Amino acid sequence: MAGMRYSLDRVGYDLLAHALHRCGREEFSGQLRVAGAPGGTLHLRAGLVVGAESPGAPGPETLLLRSGRVSGEQWAEVVRESGGERWPATGLITRGHTGAAQLRVVCVMALYDAVFAIVAGRVHGCERVEAEPFATVAVGETCVRLLQDATRRLAALATLPHPLRPDRERPTPVPGVDHGPLSPLQRALLDQADGRSTARDLAFRTGRGVYTVAVEMARMLADGLLECPEAPVPIPVRPPPDGQGVRQRRPEPAASRAAPPPVSAVPPAVPDELPRRRPGASGIAEALAPERNGASWKGFFRLRNGAPK
Amino acid sequence: MDREALALEMRGLREQVTGITDTAVAAADGLLIAADTADSIDPEGLAALAAAGLGLARRTVGATARGTLRRTVTYGSHGCAAFYAVGDTALMVVIGDEGMDVDGLHRATQPALDRIDTILSAPTEKAAEGV
Repeated sequence: MAGMRYSLDRVGYDLLAHALHRCGREEFSGQLRVAGAPGGTLHLRAGLVVGAESPGAPGPETLLLRSGRVSGEQWAEVVRESGGERWPATGLITRGHTGAAQLRVVCVMALYDAVFAIVAGRVHGCERVEAEPFATVAVGETCVRLLQDATRRLAALATLPHPLRPDRERPTPVPGVDHGPLSPLQRALLDQADGRSTARDLAFRTGRGVYTVAVEMARMLADGLLECPEAPVPIPVRPPPDGQGVRQRRPEPAASRAAPPPVSAVPPAVPDELPRRRPGASGIAEALAPERNGASWKGFFRLRNGAPK
Repeated sequence: MDREALALEMRGLREQVTGITDTAVAAADGLLIAADTADSIDPEGLAALAAAGLGLARRTVGATARGTLRRTVTYGSHGCAAFYAVGDTALMVVIGDEGMDVDGLHRATQPALDRIDTILSAPTEKAAEGV
């Protein structure tokens, strides 16, 4: 682990950088879809990036909801009030769920984090799509600045003693370690690290940026609070008890199938008048009849009002 | 049934699609076969819910003449749960967080479902253990 060095996907990075620089130069408005793992979509207006989404980094909505700043119900209410807007920024501010400056910071952080996640993964190709960009920041960022920041972060992560790839290692807490005082993020990561989750997974779960979580986890690996298990967490498998595997359902034998009702060629007679209900036809009166031992309405009232002592 | 192959398929799917947090495979009647789930999730209960959910969805598709059921996806503010039928006799549950690309999941799941169906249909060799 300590010997592992984090290397940039150079070919993929060049593809992305080339596509982004062209978008900037040509003042492209629309979406740049980045195929890869995790990949993502960059939203551009006049050559500036006004939003970015990636499965590799939590977006502003996830950051607000998972961090507990906004509850799921409050979010649904704001979306409803805004007429179903995808990003109801005005409603969040007017309802007092967040301040305008705080929301701006969250959105810009999420934008940088998404570009970091795309660059930190693998890029297979880029495709421009003429579609309305989904803007989360009012003033866009230049492509050059975003790429520079992403590579700077990647280099910073790689220089740590225990570098960690955001979507690869799945650490577990080291048992029986006296960890002393912990920051809230460290405590959350120790609680959530289960040997099944990557830094990216824990970033979503804790409502933090993926870069922040990856750096913190790398430090915790170096401090001996976390470790990367040799083998993955086992998956319990319990085959069906008969040992024959899950068998295919056989079609029912023809004889056991219910025969379809015969279709009559003669149409049913149309009644002249609506059927009339006969008293006692349902049989409910018999079903509720008093028992022969004498229980009656008197008994009912006795039950309701309490038996005299 | 090759337990190791089934575990590899489940783990492979979680590692292939960014955002998958948990997977489970159960018989169509809701009897759990394998679970790659977090401690916070009761896999037996999840398998039963998936069987009921798929049954309901299949009847809804039939009642509304929407053709063959493909999947059921339930969305929450923290992610989604997808239920897939595995052949006629089993089902698979995939749970993901907000970042999971659901369309990408459906594309990745189709070949995995076919392989899991083949694994489940084969006779069992040994007793159950974690793999």
